[in-house]
Amino acid sequence: MEKKQKFSPEKITSDLLPQQFGRRGMIWTICLVVICAVGLFAYIRQLQKGLVVTNMGDYVSWGIYISNFVFFVAISLVGSLITAIFRLTDVHWRTPLTRISELIAVSAITFAALIIIVDMGRPERLFYLFTHGRIQSPIMWDVIVITTYFCISLFLLYITLLPDIRIMIDAREKLGKRFSKLYRWLGSFWKGTEAQERIRNRAITIICIVIIPVAFCIHTVTSWLFATTYRPGWDSTNFGAYFVSGAFLVGAGGVVVAMYVFRKIYKLEHYITERHFNNMGKILVMLSLLYLYFNVNEYLVPAFKMKKEEHEHLTGLFAGEFAPMFWFAILVGMIIPIFIVIFKKGRKPLPMFVAGVMVVVGAWFKRYLIVTPTMLHPFLPKYDAPEKYSHYFPSWEEWAITFGSLAGMLLIITILVRIFPVVSIYKTLTDHEDELPS
Amino acid sequence: MKMNYRHKILIILFSLLGFIVGTVLAQDTEEAPVNLNLKYYMPENNIPFIKVITNKKVGRQFEAVKGIAVNVYFGEVAESKLMGKIITAANGEGRVAFPSSFKSSWDSLDVFTIVAESVPAAKEESLSAEMTIKKAILVLDTANDDGTRTVSAQLKEKRGDEWVAIPEIEMKLKIKRSLGNLNLGNEEIFTADEEGTASSEFVKDSMPGDEKGNLVIMARVEDNDDYGNLTVEKTVPWGKPVLSVAHVWERTLWSTGTNAPLWLIVLAFVITGGVWGTLFYLVRQMFKIRKMGKAMDAEPAT
Repeated sequence: MEKKQKFSPEKITSDLLPQQFGRRGMIWTICLVVICAVGLFAYIRQLQKGLVVTNMGDYVSWGIYISNFVFFVAISLVGSLITAIFRLTDVHWRTPLTRISELIAVSAITFAALIIIVDMGRPERLFYLFTHGRIQSPIMWDVIVITTYFCISLFLLYITLLPDIRIMIDAREKLGKRFSKLYRWLGSFWKGTEAQERIRNRAITIICIVIIPVAFCIHTVTSWLFATTYRPGWDSTNFGAYFVSGAFLVGAGGVVVAMYVFRKIYKLEHYITERHFNNMGKILVMLSLLYLYFNVNEYLVPAFKMKKEEHEHLTGLFAGEFAPMFWFAILVGMIIPIFIVIFKKGRKPLPMFVAGVMVVVGAWFKRYLIVTPTMLHPFLPKYDAPEKYSHYFPSWEEWAITFGSLAGMLLIITILVRIFPVVSIYKTLTDHEDELPS
Repeated sequence: MKMNYRHKILIILFSLLGFIVGTVLAQDTEEAPVNLNLKYYMPENNIPFIKVITNKKVGRQFEAVKGIAVNVYFGEVAESKLMGKIITAANGEGRVAFPSSFKSSWDSLDVFTIVAESVPAAKEESLSAEMTIKKAILVLDTANDDGTRTVSAQLKEKRGDEWVAIPEIEMKLKIKRSLGNLNLGNEEIFTADEEGTASSEFVKDSMPGDEKGNLVIMARVEDNDDYGNLTVEKTVPWGKPVLSVAHVWERTLWSTGTNAPLWLIVLAFVITGGVWGTLFYLVRQMFKIRKMGKAMDAEPAT
């Protein structure tokens, strides 16, 4: 059993205050900026020449952009899982994980919104959604729910940061002047009085109650973008629950990866302990099994019936063009992580990190498989279509924008952890005080 | 010794097998020559056109060859007889319609020849193809005797100034639909009788037509060595009228944005309003916290 060490408040504050980037941090940030710049260049090309620079066409009109969008939406769900559900169910060990999950949620939902605009081809047409939007369309619901979730996630991040901002204002000598203006602008009014604390706590509880249905909605509505369309692979009543369970899994995987990285880089071994990995491991197994169950429902039932219209799509996944990617996503994204994490030794930080990476990578490919193969197999016969319309492989512009968006998400997290503490100082201090003998 | 003898037999058998497999594979892997084919089409007894097809055999299938430049001539290869130039598309096909300048010479002939020649690139051999077509038209007739509806078609060949019906010609009688054509009767292919007439009873009752119940009946001769491909259509009022009701102005899920169902609008506004209302309330609470903090800052230090 791991023994919990007691530290002085000064040490806790000193350990958890945001730190300047070292050499590795600078190289990492520059790499992300370069990838983002290449993505931006590709997007400018797309703006100039139109969607013709992509390899999307009459059949695959939703390609890698929409796969990426679904991935971002999925991983953003973690904000509600860790912060809201853990808070409302009074999970005490959540403290070091809440900020990480909130950061992932905010950055992921930002790029989910941006990638949709990229997929539209002409960004100014977003305006028409508001002037000519149809409330009957799931696309309209998606726009509403993404905007709402973004605002709620941002609010949640901000309100939980307030006491930490006060601490950072007070520690300006140690932190330097670089962000002191920003800290003062964001939270100089926070005095930590009983009245302020009462309002803040109440607001957090309310936002935690609200964010759960909104988070369920965001991924259910995203699933309905597909399920309300009559196509092989999407014509399913299982899709809402299937997407939500998948989102929880990839979100938890993302948090595990981030936990390991921050723990290693910022030397937070005393705060993000093996106990946290052990507990997150158990959650990861449960979520993997749940998602696996929905996958069995999603593929085995149609495969058992093997309706003529579904046959080509399903055989393409099981043994055809998409089989390597499909089995990779199932094995690497679900089954192997279960076998790693189900054993206690597998719930140590390093194996957990490996399992987390596998879950996240598998989840990205899974989203690609949800979108693209179905688009290639419409119910109506392809009539007088060129051969190239029967295949899809993203163009370099699509890859560049996709990697640019993924790098952009990581860049937002990187910048935010440079400015704000990655683990809540105030909550850690409070937990510490509560644990001290009176 | 016996073992050695058996080994020799096995070695010879394997060598023979290897030789046969090798020969077959070598034949398969040899670069197949490009084929140039011509097809003649006469749609609706109107302006005919020539389809040029370039392909080659790959394995056991023919694959389209694109980008072959082909000149198509009327009668013989001569600059004055050039009907048109095409470059085959991705599907290995190209079309040349009969130019109006050839109308008088085409009208005067009973039989005509089309010649095609590819324009070879450097170090390539020219491809050529030729076809001779007997000029013909397809005539479609319908009758409705006491409720028995029949469709008959004749292929008539031009012989001098006369058009003579040709017996024992195979043709298809179809009902034209959006994504494919349906058989008119119970069979797909009909053979013309001694008088050159192919006929079928129209048995598809209650077939949905347009608003007036019109259906398009068609007769088609396909890939005939002498006459090519001919098609003729006729509109008949034998279908069931289908009145399309426009729901676009009603409050439905598939209507325009302004005509969304009321229950959906109410539901959407209640949910969105509930969530955003809560969010605005929380923002207000934030301002309350801010106000408290500012008030403390303004208080004189005791």
